Amino acid sequence: MNQFLSSPFLRRAGYLLAVLLVILLGWNLRLNAATYLPVDYDEDDYLRAAQEYAAVIRSGDMSGLMDYNYRTEHPPLLKILYGWAIAGDPEVRLIPDRPTTAQPDATLPRPHLIHARTLGAVIGTLVVGIVALINPLAGFALSIHTFNIKYVSQVMLESLPSLTSLLMVLAYLRSKKSPRPAAWLAISAVFLGLTAASKYLYCVIGIAILVDWFLENRKTGKLLNWLTSVLPWGLLSIAIFFAANPYLWPDPINRLSESVFYHAGYASGAEEVQRAGYPFYQSLVHMFFSPYWWWQNGVFAFPYDPFLAIFAILGLKGLWKKERLYVLWMIVALAFLFVWPTKWAQYNIILSVPLALSTAEGFMALIVNPLKAWWVNRKDKAVLAAPQKNDLRRAWPWLVPGLIAFIILTLFPLTFQFGVSLTDFSAASIRDGLQGGLWRAISGGLSGQAPASIPTEFPYRASEVNYIGPINFIPALGYLTLPERDVLVFNVIWMVSSVLMQSALGLGLALLLRQRGVRLRKFWQALFIVPWAIPEMIGALMWWNIFQPNWGWLALAAQQFGENIPFGFFVGWERSTDLRMLIFLIPGLWYGFPFMLMAASAGLKMIPDEVYDAAAIDGANQWQTFLRVTWPLLLPLLLPAIIVRGIFAFNQFYLFQAFYALEATLSTLSYNVFNSGGFHPYGGQFAISSVINVLNILILIGFVILFNRWSKAGQGVTYA
Amino acid sequence: MRKLSLPAQLISQALFALAGLFVLLPVWGMARLAFDGSLRGRPTEFRWLPKEFSLEAFLKVLDRPYQSVDFEILLRNSMTVSISAALLAIVLGVSLAYAFARFRFPGRNAGLFLLLLTAILPPVAFMAPLYILLSILKIRTTLMALVIVYAAFGMPFCIWNMRSAFQAIPKEVEEAAFLDGASDLRTFFAVTLPLALPSIAVAGLVAFLTGYSEFALGWLFVEKADTVTLAMAIYAIVQNQYQGGAQPWSYLGSLALIIAAPVVAVFIVLQRALLDRMTFGSAGD
Repeated sequence: MNQFLSSPFLRRAGYLLAVLLVILLGWNLRLNAATYLPVDYDEDDYLRAAQEYAAVIRSGDMSGLMDYNYRTEHPPLLKILYGWAIAGDPEVRLIPDRPTTAQPDATLPRPHLIHARTLGAVIGTLVVGIVALINPLAGFALSIHTFNIKYVSQVMLESLPSLTSLLMVLAYLRSKKSPRPAAWLAISAVFLGLTAASKYLYCVIGIAILVDWFLENRKTGKLLNWLTSVLPWGLLSIAIFFAANPYLWPDPINRLSESVFYHAGYASGAEEVQRAGYPFYQSLVHMFFSPYWWWQNGVFAFPYDPFLAIFAILGLKGLWKKERLYVLWMIVALAFLFVWPTKWAQYNIILSVPLALSTAEGFMALIVNPLKAWWVNRKDKAVLAAPQKNDLRRAWPWLVPGLIAFIILTLFPLTFQFGVSLTDFSAASIRDGLQGGLWRAISGGLSGQAPASIPTEFPYRASEVNYIGPINFIPALGYLTLPERDVLVFNVIWMVSSVLMQSALGLGLALLLRQRGVRLRKFWQALFIVPWAIPEMIGALMWWNIFQPNWGWLALAAQQFGENIPFGFFVGWERSTDLRMLIFLIPGLWYGFPFMLMAASAGLKMIPDEVYDAAAIDGANQWQTFLRVTWPLLLPLLLPAIIVRGIFAFNQFYLFQAFYALEATLSTLSYNVFNSGGFHPYGGQFAISSVINVLNILILIGFVILFNRWSKAGQGVTYA
Repeated sequence: MRKLSLPAQLISQALFALAGLFVLLPVWGMARLAFDGSLRGRPTEFRWLPKEFSLEAFLKVLDRPYQSVDFEILLRNSMTVSISAALLAIVLGVSLAYAFARFRFPGRNAGLFLLLLTAILPPVAFMAPLYILLSILKIRTTLMALVIVYAAFGMPFCIWNMRSAFQAIPKEVEEAAFLDGASDLRTFFAVTLPLALPSIAVAGLVAFLTGYSEFALGWLFVEKADTVTLAMAIYAIVQNQYQGGAQPWSYLGSLALIIAAPVVAVFIVLQRALLDRMTFGSAGD
């Protein structure tokens, strides 16, 4: 039986079946989206362009293709295809030309809209199918990815370039293994040209190919070879780009420059780009966000995107081992989106494919492989587990008193919090709740006696507490990942960057202080400890006194001496998302670096002098000594401190409380546990706060696991 | 390692001075406010030094910083609450910590995991449930409630650290006492506890400082002015500013300095011991 199960034929059949199912699922979801999604921005523009091409196609005189390209900033290939898709539909009035700031036009003609969208859905499904052939699990991830479904199934310009760019990458990868690389490279160049003729942005993926190509050639030491093969590759793609872009034929130079330079002007000048006020890392925010899935006419049942993104991040390492180009694709695309000022949500579609592949790796590494390992090892483990020494009889008198206190003071409140997160406890029902209503609701709900119910007309207004079940978790997650609020991604970016800065400054100062014969060492060390000792809220108020936008030190100085004072560029920080991040990081650095300084000093003391002497005898300079000797020895000693700082930063609360006082757009989860009022128009603060709290605790559980694993490596905390 | 050359010494000192400036700048900004007698509300002009040097704000704050409550009452509340909370956390947690350090029993690993998790949770995580529970018990607005709240914040941290303190004591020391015929309990009080006491004291100090400097959450529990702690008075002044109140900012500055100064002194004296506790006993040595 086992032999039959593992036979190559069955494996192949199973694989094909999986691919087929994924394609069906992807097609179903995309067709559904194409049919029912409400009209979005830009769809009127591209449908109008399609109408113009449809008229040309109907007339039969294809030379007309050269005359039209509505919204010339984007090349015409996909618009022409849209025109072909609606050419058979009855002719209607041309959709009016409207400014890019106009609201979505709900009155677009049908069936034109649906036919154009269906074409997008077909192309999007093709991408899903190809990804599924590489890895069925990745195909599945892509097929349910809300972001991808939405933007390929609307009359946007994302579907075709995501297909051609994927084919370009696959052809390139094929060339690396093929006996006839030139042919495959030529194919990849053709697809690069077609990509450029669909949407310029996707050419960024070509840069990832160049990087991979370069790395490949550097390994073999044939850099000149790289240059001579890249050049024809690029030229061929440019030729294809022109061939697939009839609008350019009559007046190539002017029309091309007009089209390309539009984007630079748009990015720096357009009103809606300025107004959006996105931080530089906005594409990460979008990655963790399912685009307003609850507004989309019921097209999306569940916001999978944040979960897919988490697996994707954890899968990057595995994906790099399998095929680094996909990771390069991700890195290059993200780097470009970080730098490029326009940050519309649909740009994230250039990441869809590597994201899906990485999600699959992460899922295997995190869920499937551990389960497999457990299944395989379960018998050995039972045999190996030696009878453990058990002191329970001696331990229990010690355990009981402390355990009672710990349960009452710590565990019970937290468990209770989980209970509250399943109710609609709010300001309106506070009286009933405190008089026993909470117990009734929680115990009734968990024992199944009271059905989960929430009054649809006035939720969170009932004067009695009701059990509502875990219905608030997904909306709360949606709220925390909303692009306007951006709590979750900000929290993580905040944690990583503030800990990096603190560690760098702390370690740098520790190294300087450690030098032999440095003067005033004790004095400086005592001075540098001061911020660590100052209670967090007081420190935050001290910085608030400097940065307060109207009467802080900096603002007053700018009023008196003009904005050209040192650090004058910070004036007006409250209006810029990126500056705001920086303004938070400065107090964060101030709080945190003393701790890292002390941890690093303690660690440095443990490295024996002989090691340095040996390095000096070997003729290592200072930088080499640090890189090869100090750092590797220090890192394991420093890791626990880094994680503790990371957790502090993740939980940072008083800083945001002091700086915002009332409302917040960038803040940590902790801040939102305390100030959850903005979440729900109806109130229900207790219920929502407890939901955010529970989510926060779940994330921190992840940190504990990390902490334990990493500090074991540093021989620090262990459970043993 | 080579001895420092003169230029290297100068460069290092310059860098230290720069970092020192960064450390002191916000403190200086607060001190400037605190010592300025001319402030009537918020500051209106940029100055490096106070316009009229005066200790008036300190005297006022040391007398009656918040509404009609005397400084002494605030200080007494602060001390009562934070010392009781720290003692509560230590006394209630010490046996549990010892059990986790010395004995093996089923569920030990799960317990340690829970301990570490609760030790790293932000205080806000306990805020809402404690609020509800203490309201149900009808003691929410008393000093007792604050003691319970701050003890709950501090206890997991204290237990974890006491555990590492006990673990640092060699088992052989205890076994010697045990062989001499001492009971578990006697061994603990006569041998283990005295040896671990310094570390336990530091863990308690950290718990004490949490209570001493916490105020945003404390305000949720307090309704009457006579149960306010010193740190909470600061928040009252801040809130007053946001609501357009006219208390001079020099009060805020001086109160902040008064509260922070003793903590800074303690930290400078006990730096190494505090570091070890705050990295959960894993910072080396």
